[in-house]
Amino acid sequence: MSEARPLVEASGLGKGYGAGPTRVEVLDGLDLEVASGEMLAVVGPSGVGKSTLLHLIGLLDRPERGRLLLEGRDTGVLDGTARAGLRNRMIGFVFQHHHLLEELDALDNVALPLRISGEGSRRARDRAAELLEAVGLAGRTAHFPDQLSGGEQQRVSVARALAMEPRLLLADEPTGNLDRANSERLFDLVSQLHLKAGLTSIIVTHNEEMARRCDRIFRLAPRADLSEDV
Amino acid sequence: MSLGAELHVARRYLVGIRRRTHVATVTLISLAGLGIGVFALVVVLAMLEGFQSGIRAEIVARAAHAELRPAAGRRLPEPDRLASVLQAELPDVEAVQVVRGACLVSSAMDAVPAPVVGRSDTAGVVVDQLLARRLGVGAGDRIEVVSARRRLTPMGPLPVRISAEISRVAAPRPGSESGTVILPLGRAQQLLWGEPVVEAIELRDPADPWRLAQRMRVALGSDASEVEIAGLDQLHRGLLTALALERVMIFLAVGLMLVVAALNLLCNVAMVAAEKRKDLAVMAGLGFAPRSLRRLFLVLGLAIGVVGSALGAVAGTVVAVVLDRTGWLRLPQGVFMVPSVPFEVDPASVALVMVVALALAALGAWLPARMVARREPAEGLRYE
Repeated sequence: MSEARPLVEASGLGKGYGAGPTRVEVLDGLDLEVASGEMLAVVGPSGVGKSTLLHLIGLLDRPERGRLLLEGRDTGVLDGTARAGLRNRMIGFVFQHHHLLEELDALDNVALPLRISGEGSRRARDRAAELLEAVGLAGRTAHFPDQLSGGEQQRVSVARALAMEPRLLLADEPTGNLDRANSERLFDLVSQLHLKAGLTSIIVTHNEEMARRCDRIFRLAPRADLSEDV
Repeated sequence: MSLGAELHVARRYLVGIRRRTHVATVTLISLAGLGIGVFALVVVLAMLEGFQSGIRAEIVARAAHAELRPAAGRRLPEPDRLASVLQAELPDVEAVQVVRGACLVSSAMDAVPAPVVGRSDTAGVVVDQLLARRLGVGAGDRIEVVSARRRLTPMGPLPVRISAEISRVAAPRPGSESGTVILPLGRAQQLLWGEPVVEAIELRDPADPWRLAQRMRVALGSDASEVEIAGLDQLHRGLLTALALERVMIFLAVGLMLVVAALNLLCNVAMVAAEKRKDLAVMAGLGFAPRSLRRLFLVLGLAIGVVGSALGAVAGTVVAVVLDRTGWLRLPQGVFMVPSVPFEVDPASVALVMVVALALAALGAWLPARMVARREPAEGLRYE
């Protein structure tokens, strides 16, 4: 066991949607720690709150109960701007539906987090070109998302997630929309980059085989009946 | 913090609109709405300015530009000295001594009450067209002018009267509704006062009519405190106030079009915000702060505002200038002073219209922008 403080510490996290009789409690009293450098798989049936958990850890949403610490810092006290800054510098996201901006080509999509951080256009684009090359898309920089295949779109999305050299990579069913061969290739890519960049990764997946390749599996069950496999 | 990323995305949204027909359509509708609003305001204000400057030019051409009156009573003290001081200080200015009164003016056909003016620059008897028509007289005919002043005769007090031959029929003064008789100063003094009284000195300076009163105050020095000096805006206060009021009311009425256009812009930006909900959540995920999302939408709204109002202003100016030069909008003869609708584009009005349009566009974009910035990013991602 490492003595270092976990990168992610969630305690008693709770989140629900709706109000009154239609209210649904998605997460209730969830505790989770993710060590620095760890690759964690989050699995569970649909609707159990996997994406919600990822959104809470990624500061895309606020928990209704509980505390979330990133690198020991309490995120509950941060305002919108501070949370945005942390998302930009510390966290990389890969979504199931790639979520590339339709109006930007592959290069500009990857360069966007760098532009948001205040990087100049030229340097951002140079860095984006390197990243696209690293994910095997050097010849596709000027293509728009609708001109790329599903696998290519997801690789652009991975390049974008890594643009700011984040410490935490959050992937929400990154292979959910891909065929088996493309899923394998993408997971290999993420695994390589995880090791190479020294990332801490949390990957939500339905794919048991992929989950087993991670360092640890965190199983989310309905009504917060949680269990862990190592 | 630089605006680089917001401008970059806003530009891609606007320039890349060919890729997304829906955004293109709503953007073009917003642009057209704002453009038409600005166009209408520029054209209407140019038309108003055309008519109003015609009226102002008419006043300047025909009426006195300033007047020196007694501070109290009706007799101007030392009129000859004041006139010579003014003439010495302001050699280019025409100064005319006048007396005014009301008399009964009669011809062979009729008798009507009318204002009588005695002027030092008039040699003959001048009747304006309004009075000439009512009395059925023309140049060469004789009229009788009967004063309210009476003189004691062997038959008792009788009104002072003169009989004179009309030497000229003149155009009426702007704003004049009753006819006027103009007499040489001496005859009018005799008729109205029986002594050489001067009631006012009228001055004209075609080179700089609107500031004549101010220059007179300087020229008269200490004498200025003993008399009243009325400038063009005071002499025609009623008419000029009505013109200014008309301008404001038209601006407000037609400006409502701009408000409607801004509401349309608000709806359209809100539609874009709804359609781009997922993109906005992703951008927030990548690190766009709420403030940056607000700026992004403000930039979108202002871009539509700048392009729309610029197109509207250019089109409005071109149309106004073309209509003015060609005189395509004819007016019925005899009803208006001008043969066709006059247009005069005032750059200050165009600038004001554009500023108002931009401010409304910014407001139209601000409300959806605020709404977008308030949402947690996950809300846009939840329902994929």
